[in-house]
Amino acid sequence: MWPQLKRLLLTRLRFRESWIIFFILGAIMMNYPFISIFNKPDRLLGIPLLYLYLQVGWVVSIFVIWLFNKANVTPNGDDSSEEEL
Amino acid sequence: MLQPELVIGVSLLYVLALFGVAAWADKRQSQQRSVVANPHIYSLSIAVYATSWTFYGSVGKAATTGLDFLLIYLGPSLTAFSWWFVLRKTVRICKENNITSIADFISSRYGKSQRLGGLVTIIAILGVMPYIALQLKAVSTSFEILCGQPHISVSLPGMTAIPVSSSALAAGVLALFAGIFGARRISSTGRHEGLVAAIALESLVKLCAFMAVGIFVTFFLFDGFPDIFGRMAATRPELLDHLTTFGGPGEVTYSSIFSMLVISMGAIMLLPRQFHLMVIENSDELHIREAMWLFPAYLFLINLFVMPIALAGILLTGSSSGADLFVLSLPLKSGHQWLALLAFIGGFSAAAGMVMVESIAISTMLLDHLLMPILVRIAPNGWFPGLLLNLKRAGIFLVVFLGYFYHSLVAEQYMLVNMGIISFVAAAQFAPSFIGGLYWRRGNKAGALMGMSMGFALWFYTLLLPSLIQSGRWQTTLLEKGLFGFSLLRPTALFGIDEFDLNSHAVFWSLLFNIGGYLAFSILMPKDEREKEPAEKFVSVFKPREEESWEKKRLSKPVTIMQFVNLMAKFVGEEQASSAIASYLGDREIDENGRVSEFELPSLKRFIEKTLASSVGAAAAGAIVESYLSDLGSRMESFYDVFRTVRASLEESRESLYVRLRASEIMNRTLDLQIIIDDLLDLIRKEFGFNLVVVRLATAGGMLKVRGFRGTEIKKITRTDWEAEVNTYIGDAFLSNKIQFVNDVNHATKLVSRDLMETVGVRSFAHIPIARQGEAPIGILSVFSQDIVGLFTEQFLQLLSSLAGQLAQAITIVFQMEARERERKAKEQALLENARVLREMEIAKQIQRSLLPTTPPALPGVLVAGSCLPAAHVGGDYFDYFLRGDDTLDIVIADVSGHNVGAALIMAETRSVLRAHVQRTVHPGELMQRLNELLYDDLSRSELFISMFYVSYSFKSRLLRYANAGHNRPLLLKRQPAGCSDLDTEGLILGVLPQVLFEEKSVQLDPGDILLLYTDGIIEAQNAAEEFFGIDRLCKTLNLMRDDTPDAIISALFENLDEFLQEALPKDDITLVVLKLA
Repeated sequence: MWPQLKRLLLTRLRFRESWIIFFILGAIMMNYPFISIFNKPDRLLGIPLLYLYLQVGWVVSIFVIWLFNKANVTPNGDDSSEEEL
Repeated sequence: MLQPELVIGVSLLYVLALFGVAAWADKRQSQQRSVVANPHIYSLSIAVYATSWTFYGSVGKAATTGLDFLLIYLGPSLTAFSWWFVLRKTVRICKENNITSIADFISSRYGKSQRLGGLVTIIAILGVMPYIALQLKAVSTSFEILCGQPHISVSLPGMTAIPVSSSALAAGVLALFAGIFGARRISSTGRHEGLVAAIALESLVKLCAFMAVGIFVTFFLFDGFPDIFGRMAATRPELLDHLTTFGGPGEVTYSSIFSMLVISMGAIMLLPRQFHLMVIENSDELHIREAMWLFPAYLFLINLFVMPIALAGILLTGSSSGADLFVLSLPLKSGHQWLALLAFIGGFSAAAGMVMVESIAISTMLLDHLLMPILVRIAPNGWFPGLLLNLKRAGIFLVVFLGYFYHSLVAEQYMLVNMGIISFVAAAQFAPSFIGGLYWRRGNKAGALMGMSMGFALWFYTLLLPSLIQSGRWQTTLLEKGLFGFSLLRPTALFGIDEFDLNSHAVFWSLLFNIGGYLAFSILMPKDEREKEPAEKFVSVFKPREEESWEKKRLSKPVTIMQFVNLMAKFVGEEQASSAIASYLGDREIDENGRVSEFELPSLKRFIEKTLASSVGAAAAGAIVESYLSDLGSRMESFYDVFRTVRASLEESRESLYVRLRASEIMNRTLDLQIIIDDLLDLIRKEFGFNLVVVRLATAGGMLKVRGFRGTEIKKITRTDWEAEVNTYIGDAFLSNKIQFVNDVNHATKLVSRDLMETVGVRSFAHIPIARQGEAPIGILSVFSQDIVGLFTEQFLQLLSSLAGQLAQAITIVFQMEARERERKAKEQALLENARVLREMEIAKQIQRSLLPTTPPALPGVLVAGSCLPAAHVGGDYFDYFLRGDDTLDIVIADVSGHNVGAALIMAETRSVLRAHVQRTVHPGELMQRLNELLYDDLSRSELFISMFYVSYSFKSRLLRYANAGHNRPLLLKRQPAGCSDLDTEGLILGVLPQVLFEEKSVQLDPGDILLLYTDGIIEAQNAAEEFFGIDRLCKTLNLMRDDTPDAIISALFENLDEFLQEALPKDDITLVVLKLA
């Protein structure tokens, strides 16, 4: 009973909160002032820095969502987060 | 340059291919083997988001202002993080409510408001106008670039060739395509798999086409990304820096970045076509999970080569003019016409997909929210579904041609992207009401209406209007001078704010007023009654639903199921209507009039609305049902709220608990039934404001007799005792043991009751059986109201029923106590009586005892002893001695039949008579004869008999004379010859015949002889083994005791008897008399 409950709780916590955190994180990273870190006319490996930052950031965010999905699919194919925000 | 015929031909072939795919998918859907119900197709269909704006416009944007083209894709990618909550919740809500569009969603959430639905529709129609114009512009310009001419000559047989502009042609083809795809049937909630399949294919085509061009440009014209960036850095370093950074002078500002992100985040779900494909066409919530990363991945891929193409275009053409069409012009320039054609098809795909879905979605909204409110006033007819379908098609054409209209007004002036943003900002106006509707219970219709209309007005003023003005077709100084010359009201710098770019400015003001209005009015204005239920349902759609909530509404006039079916048939066709109602009814009970119970009706009505909603939208469905009901003279009314306070749906109200508590107090306070009934009636009447409350209890004859009432006496009710018969509600309630209630006397069906109630002015009433759980009713609690119609809710009746149950319990307890009391008293009485009788019997016994001789006469040469043992207190046995002179001793033994008081009385009489006659007669026979004569009458009257044996012994002669009246023969134990013999003589028992002669015999006795006279009690005494004591034992004992005294003989005989009987008791009186000669 206990380990199951604990796992369930952990899964839920990780699941819901992390989505919000990543959403907020993403919003911050794409806006002023954070974006001004990369907003420079420099180039890395010949690619403009900001362009690289946005593209790489994008790929990372897609990867993160993919990872979360894989992590949160329970064996029966359904998720355990029926209750909502 | 390509031949226009070739381009048109290929395009038409492509369209045909789409049709083929769509038809195939539809066929598979009808076979239940869906090809589109998977996350990949779902994700591809959402990619309808990438339109020709993406296909052509992104490159244009990248080549002019730089990286900000990415923002409208980054925003949606970011929202993908929230889809599992927001999108899934929306999908769930839409599935549960048969929602057909974003307008339907918002209108349903705020109480099926027609005005709100209409407002959303208008915003959507005007909002997407520039967006559709953008697609048309893209198609026509791309055609122009590809073929080198903007017109196509259409020649009809017998007429000169008419030049048709490519944009008009594009509009026509796209509208036709959409009309055929999107309006094939009227129900909008059923998924259109053909459409989805076509859109998914288009998304695939446009991605491949764009990637093909991108790869060609990057890797064939150039040597990959670093090469392009390197060459750009070498030739135009300042331009590259400008394009790859934000925020510098003349560049994209941070505020612009922010506003672009915000509106694109809104647009991904709120644009009508996005909502349609993401929500309405979703076949499984789990697809969302995959789409969350697949869709951003799609956006990433389609944008991957935007920057290289843009830079390559600049490098190759030397400038960024015409950058919108680099995708086409670069392959063309390098002589790869096939690639250009592929790119054209990709762009055409992007435009076609968008126009199709958008026009279908908006046409649905148009029909449901703007036309339907008017259409429902037309009496529905057989042709109605057909009309709806054609109107939907007309709507699709209207939407496309509005876009065409806008295109012909402003297209020349605007870049593709800027036109699209106007639409995005319009869609963003839905966001506050949408998000608020999902998560904020307090958000209400007033807020949504106010916020959205202010946002819309500001969008129109600050964004759409300037775009029209800037087209130059309308000469005005509005932009420079402001409205009425107030410079503060300049559309592009409202209230003097001019730091923002045009879009951010419009986003700021429109959303400020929109959100502000929504919040302020939601808080200030009360929620209207119709909004409460959907608000709760939407916000907590994932909460497990309670089994059923109490109905708070009733239909003032019941409607039959057939009437509802007829209504549905008009909109969805008869077959569908019948099957829908069949699925609803299932195992519900239907009464003889073809109706469901009054409490079921509102739920049936909701079901009808929901079914209709799938065809005409929720708001219109509500209006249709409402107007139909009012035609029938019925309407939804609130139940009268007897508790006068709002209550939570399932929790019992405080008032209800209070009433129950008070009722319990009343029941427990006393055992006086009348007080209980009267107090309870008082409580019910006062608490619920009835005019009259009556308790009737059933009599043994089955009459319902008034036991008490409270309130204004209505004599026709309170002075009438009803027989329990089904033709009255009260009789029905009693016989069926079910509550009978009438919420409106006008609709009562039992005429006897209805006439009576109408005469006395009762408007609603209920009869509640007074019964304990699972038992037959013992009476009826009746409540009457002369003022209020619609008093009885299910919950209220349950409360009354439970009060009646409590009353039944109390009545039963009182009845039981009364019965026990009666029984106890009867027992007591019986005991007393018994004691009295016993005492009297005791007295009788004493007296009877005293009638028997206590001591035998002391005579020389003769020993006598006698004893009587009555079985009851008194007995019928008798013995006596009489001395006749000094020579003779007479002994008599008698047994009156029975051994009760009667026998005792007869014995007493016999004794008196005997004593009176002993001295007058000499012979025993004579005496017996005389006795029989005297007693005969009394004996025959009392039906008793007497057996008697009389001996008369003379001392001197030792002669014993004797006579017998049917008595047991005495035993004589003689010395010589030894042995028992009995004294045998004839004689009938006394009381049988009036005249009887008794034989008299005599026997000579010798000293030592013993004579034993006895009654049958001793020889007939039975032991447990049912053996008789018998004469033998008597004889034996006599023999054994022959030398003892008569007293000892009697004691011995009784002892022997006791021994023989063991535990058993003698049943008859036992009398023994022993005479022994000395």
